[in-house]
Amino acid sequence: MGKLLTADFLKIKRKGLWLLTLIGPFGVVALQMVNYGVRKDYLLQQSEDDWGYYLLNVHSFTPLAIVLGIAILTSFIASIENETNAWKQLIALPVSKLTVYLSKFTLLAILLFFSSTLLMFFTMGYGLFLELGDTVPYMELAKYSYFPAFAALPILALQLWIASVSHNQGIPITVGIFGVIFAYSSYLLPDWMIWKWPSLMNQWNQPMINVLLGVGIGFLLYIIGMIDFARRDVK
Amino acid sequence: MIALLQAEWFKLRKSKMVPIILAGPMIGLFIGLSANLEDNMQGIEINEWYISLFSMNLTYALLFLPLISGVFTSIICRYEHQSGGWKQLLALPVTRGKVFVAKYILIMLLVLAMQILYLGSIFAVGIVKGYTDSFPMEIVWKSIVGGWVATLPLVALQLWLSIMFKSFAAPFAVNVIFTLPSILAVNSERIGPYYPWAQPFSMMYIGGNTDDVFFVPWEQVLTVVGGGFILFFLGGYYYFQRKSI
Repeated sequence: MGKLLTADFLKIKRKGLWLLTLIGPFGVVALQMVNYGVRKDYLLQQSEDDWGYYLLNVHSFTPLAIVLGIAILTSFIASIENETNAWKQLIALPVSKLTVYLSKFTLLAILLFFSSTLLMFFTMGYGLFLELGDTVPYMELAKYSYFPAFAALPILALQLWIASVSHNQGIPITVGIFGVIFAYSSYLLPDWMIWKWPSLMNQWNQPMINVLLGVGIGFLLYIIGMIDFARRDVK
Repeated sequence: MIALLQAEWFKLRKSKMVPIILAGPMIGLFIGLSANLEDNMQGIEINEWYISLFSMNLTYALLFLPLISGVFTSIICRYEHQSGGWKQLLALPVTRGKVFVAKYILIMLLVLAMQILYLGSIFAVGIVKGYTDSFPMEIVWKSIVGGWVATLPLVALQLWLSIMFKSFAAPFAVNVIFTLPSILAVNSERIGPYYPWAQPFSMMYIGGNTDDVFFVPWEQVLTVVGGGFILFFLGGYYYFQRKSI
């Protein structure tokens, strides 16, 4: 497993995946840089709690970036294998297909949480630059950075499943587009839709529920995807 | 040229294109039927058809249309990227320029087909909700054709990138990076009119000055959409001429 993961990290070298994990969180904060740069005075008037309002503004783009980022990264990883017919060579090694799948998922999860960590630092950095108040809400900051990633684990499992069994990568990308449309209109969606979860909204107003659901259903979807991947023939 | 278009069409028919085109009206139906703006709009004198169209156009034009057009361009280059397809295609007695133009025309026809299906979903939402007002024919022209015109530069850029990159994810990533900021750009009167990725929304938007041919002034259509189209189309065209395959 350790060696497989090392191999997977080697494969994504110089392919732009690390750059994308950097661009994602940077873009989310950069949009607020533009937003606050253009109309800072107006935005500060909107709420007494400047930090809280700023975090909400950042969070309005986080789910969209996460859903699309997952779709891009999963499809990228699958196409690295697809392009050179490397699935066959990879499976021919003395490793089980289950481990191959686990290694891909682990790699993606690491990228996702690396991205979340960057989001936390970028959000904090620009928040401090804006001088939103002396007390920095570190707990809220961590919550808005990591909770969406946990809540998005089912999406990651689903997209990896679709991407790794599709020969035509147009399919997982289209599913990703549907995902972002759902995430964008998440206030309309019922609570059971997985694309609503990264927005941390639910009828009980408890973001923790989304996190727990995300981890639980994410694990379930991961198992289903892994079993299906292992049963299929590699062409 | 006709033969080239036919050849592209044959390849496309085997690329699971139809379900992806149906995604457009499905998104339209989903938003149109789940959004409930009627209650907020009580008492306002407005043609009923516009009410659901507000929320449908918002999501469809802002996110879906720019993103899906990138998927089309990737799919149309898919067979060529697999095992030396470019070599086979260009070994035929065709010029590279014609191949590029044929692919571009076919994608624009697909986007047009999807726009017409989207119009069908607008109509379906109205029937389900039981609208009695007369159907405003101007949205056919302004929203459907306007949105189609606005994708001209975006498709050109995406085709350029799809020819450049083998994988689907790379051109899509560029597409996402430019499309997401348009959510903010359309709120800004200064940036919005000049941002090419915000144009599908601006042109499909209903309301505003209805004397013009589209919902946005001609100058904006010509400079931003037209200028962007020329820039990206020529960029892609000349890139493809020089690309080593």
